[in-house]
Amino acid sequence: MSNIAGKSYAMNTISPLPWHKALVLKLLFFIARFRTTSFNGLLTLSLIHYARWAILRPGDFPHLDPSQPKEDLKYHYEFFFSNFNGSWDQYVDSFSSAIPGGLDLFWRGNVKYPKSVPFRPFHNYITFNQYWTSHYYNAYPMAASNDVKSAEHLRKELVDFTRKVEGASPEAFKEQYDQLLLSLQYDLSTMAPTPVVSLAAAAIDGRERPDAAC
Amino acid sequence: MSNKLDLRDVQGSLLKAYGRYGFPKSRYVFYRVNDGSQARKLITALLPLITNSAVWKGPEQIPDSTLNIAFTYEGLKQLGVPEKSLHSFPPEFSMGMKARRDIVGDVGVNAPACWDPIWNTDGLVQPVHMILWINGRLVERDGQQVNTVDAGYQRLCELVAKHSAGVEQLSGHVGDEGDDPSYQDGSAIYVNGMPTAKEHFGYTDGISEPYFDGCGSHSSRVIGGGKPTGGDPKTKAGWAPLATGEFVLGHRDEAGEYPAAPIPSVFAKNGTFMVYRKLHQNVATFQAYVERMSAAIPGEHAAEILSAKFVGRWKNGAPLATYPTKESADQFAAELNQARLEAKQPGAGKAAQERYEKLRLELVAFDFRDDIDGSRCPLGAHIRRVNPRGSLEFGKTGAFNTPGALINRRRIIRRGLPYGEVRDRSSDQGNHGVIIVALNASIERQFEFVQQQWINYGNDFKLGNDQDPILGNRSVNESGNDRMTIQADPRGKQPPVLCGDMPTFVETRGGDYFFVPSLTALRMMGDGIVDPT
Amino acid sequence: MPNIAGNAYGLTTLCPIKNGGPPHRLDEDGATLPDNRSFGAILRDRLEDLPCDERSPMARVPNTYLCRFFVLDDLIYQGKPAEEDHLKSKYLVFTSNFHGDLETYLHGMWEHAADAVRRIWEHCVAFDRVTDAGSFVDYIKKCQVETTFYFMGSTDVSLAEQLKGLYLKQEFSKFAFANQGKSAAELQAAFAEFAARTRPDNVQGPTWRPGASQLKDAVVEGP
Repeated sequence: MSNIAGKSYAMNTISPLPWHKALVLKLLFFIARFRTTSFNGLLTLSLIHYARWAILRPGDFPHLDPSQPKEDLKYHYEFFFSNFNGSWDQYVDSFSSAIPGGLDLFWRGNVKYPKSVPFRPFHNYITFNQYWTSHYYNAYPMAASNDVKSAEHLRKELVDFTRKVEGASPEAFKEQYDQLLLSLQYDLSTMAPTPVVSLAAAAIDGRERPDAAC
Repeated sequence: MSNKLDLRDVQGSLLKAYGRYGFPKSRYVFYRVNDGSQARKLITALLPLITNSAVWKGPEQIPDSTLNIAFTYEGLKQLGVPEKSLHSFPPEFSMGMKARRDIVGDVGVNAPACWDPIWNTDGLVQPVHMILWINGRLVERDGQQVNTVDAGYQRLCELVAKHSAGVEQLSGHVGDEGDDPSYQDGSAIYVNGMPTAKEHFGYTDGISEPYFDGCGSHSSRVIGGGKPTGGDPKTKAGWAPLATGEFVLGHRDEAGEYPAAPIPSVFAKNGTFMVYRKLHQNVATFQAYVERMSAAIPGEHAAEILSAKFVGRWKNGAPLATYPTKESADQFAAELNQARLEAKQPGAGKAAQERYEKLRLELVAFDFRDDIDGSRCPLGAHIRRVNPRGSLEFGKTGAFNTPGALINRRRIIRRGLPYGEVRDRSSDQGNHGVIIVALNASIERQFEFVQQQWINYGNDFKLGNDQDPILGNRSVNESGNDRMTIQADPRGKQPPVLCGDMPTFVETRGGDYFFVPSLTALRMMGDGIVDPT
Repeated sequence: MPNIAGNAYGLTTLCPIKNGGPPHRLDEDGATLPDNRSFGAILRDRLEDLPCDERSPMARVPNTYLCRFFVLDDLIYQGKPAEEDHLKSKYLVFTSNFHGDLETYLHGMWEHAADAVRRIWEHCVAFDRVTDAGSFVDYIKKCQVETTFYFMGSTDVSLAEQLKGLYLKQEFSKFAFANQGKSAAELQAAFAEFAARTRPDNVQGPTWRPGASQLKDAVVEGP
């Protein structure tokens, strides 16, 4: 049981909201998709790889066979799944103080949602509605979202550079190389395994992989 | 809105930077509680001696020395604080610093095995239960230099002797020859007989200090010390006081609520949490590294430039963000020094005072919003990491609902002083470094977060696993995170300067987490009447 | 299509798990022991037993950025005056963030990790109808629920490109730090060697292994 895969944390929440509020929230999400500024704060925080919200009506729960009983629910449900860097405990403050308006939008109309400020009721609300992940896979445990984005920039620049300097004189090469370094000066930090996110997670890791524990 | 703290209830270290009141000397004394009931009597007896935060209105009100007190979780337990109250403390406090070593980065050369014997004991529960610390000064008396800490310590020892069944003073601080292992001394570094704000690498320390609602400092100190408002950082309009609850329990914090605190609330109110850490400085390694790497810096003053790039300030304290060249920094420092001398002249007018204050503010009245590219102060420089001053919006104005959203809840009040002397600058041996005394409402959210995420890691700055050049622990280094990129001007032709193979310059020698009670709480503890029911 | 952000796809599935549990379980010696677990618990145990990181079966599935599994056993009651809701089935929640289109991805999943898929989904309703890649794709599509909003805070390039980028970031940083201050000719020669070794334009390799959690064995040479 772990919400942690390297530098990424899997947040899962499932929370109820009345049908009419679900409709409004869906509409707001729909509008947000076409407003490029909606996610400025979240993009600037740059802690998230990928995240999603899915608002389900009772009839949206998959029904595959007559042997399976049909769900009969009073509420609609909002599913939220996120992959972000650092643990929830560590970064909840950052989310709550940077984008309180955004968070209030995401959970608008949910039953007993307390608003993102003050912080503790919000933290408690999320933890209360959280589901723990049984298997979490991350293709790059040693990379944060920032690292993946930086790496893509570096890769493109490097491929271009390699082509550009073919057959160049040493002096011309050096000049181009200095330019390359300048254009990559925000991309030269390297990656290693994540710092210990939680002592509980570190203890599990130590039990499962004594060889990898430092 | 404005908060009026009961200054007589808050311990003095929290609001008073004793150094500013001419206390360049300190002594930290640690005890184990052997008998709760006797120890409670000692606390009651100590109460009248504890320095509070009430304003000293003139030199005659300033005591010869100060005394303050704090407890570890085990200490509170031994003193009979009820289980229900104990369980209401945050877990990082009840665990203590040693048990949190993987979070704080106390591994490798920082590991407890390398700590002073007083901290390096078997098991995770340390024997230290209580700290008492004294700040004092050097005065001339009858032609003799007298350290007033000695008299304060003497008085403390006499009092403790009367309750010797209650507590036991713990020994085991490593010092140079002649140092008493039964306490830890701290002292400003003296140059020409005068105390300075320098630390052993030669940087000016302790410039930046959080300014919070009710802290009692002059209102101009909000500049650079408060939280950003989005306005001009050179003026008061650019800053607002941080919420009291970021530093003092029982008061509103930056999240608009009371910080997590133990019960009963009267026991927590006006108290805080404290981190005591002894850090050794590898002076020779640091100097050698700067000299070696300065070959990569073109032009004159390479070593000084490189040293400044590591910290984000020139050694004289001038911030790179405002004074990017050595010439401008030197000129500023000379002006500041001159203004200070003039302001200190007997009979100096208001104009001289104001001129000095205006220049002094230059040390803190800046942010990094006009240096987002880091061409002046590198993205990974020490001061930019521990107080990112507007840099985490990465130039996207208004991206966050709160200016300083990612910073306001990570501020720390730093007290503490250097310790020891560097007797041989060509060696890392010897006992010298800095005693960190950090005060905050949440050790986990403030001290530990900064220590782990901002000092020993770099993702918030988009710097991968890079660490703080000065404080980073690179001794358990997976290849690569022992580097720092010193950004060049992106519009220029010079490439960045790359500093690789950085050794660890600073090593932990021990410490722990403490609860600093209010005077009210101390009284309740002494009387044994804490009751969360 | 709200499931998509650029070339990144957010797949969200809820796969109903059969109610009840198996009557018996055979242990290794062939003796019959009562299995007191429900199908949901068995599924959860199997998820917990999956090896992590580079050894996860999902590391074999092309273009998986990040994915997760857990068992949704019921809904959380919010307390009075909220109404109380209960699910009639437990659901396996499988969500994945990947590059490309859904069918190609699910085909890849079946092709490279059918053994794990069979074991994980064994006790899900109607999974017995899955016999090949095609029926697996159909099955997952029936379990898919639509994402209302998908947020991409990273890149949407192929996983191979992402991993190659990470590999190059690591390697080029090392190169840049190690070669600072070299003469133009030395630098050019060193870079030629670097480029020949790291092959920046070949995303197949050398590169980082999907799921690599430690630096010491992160690099693979590729095909």
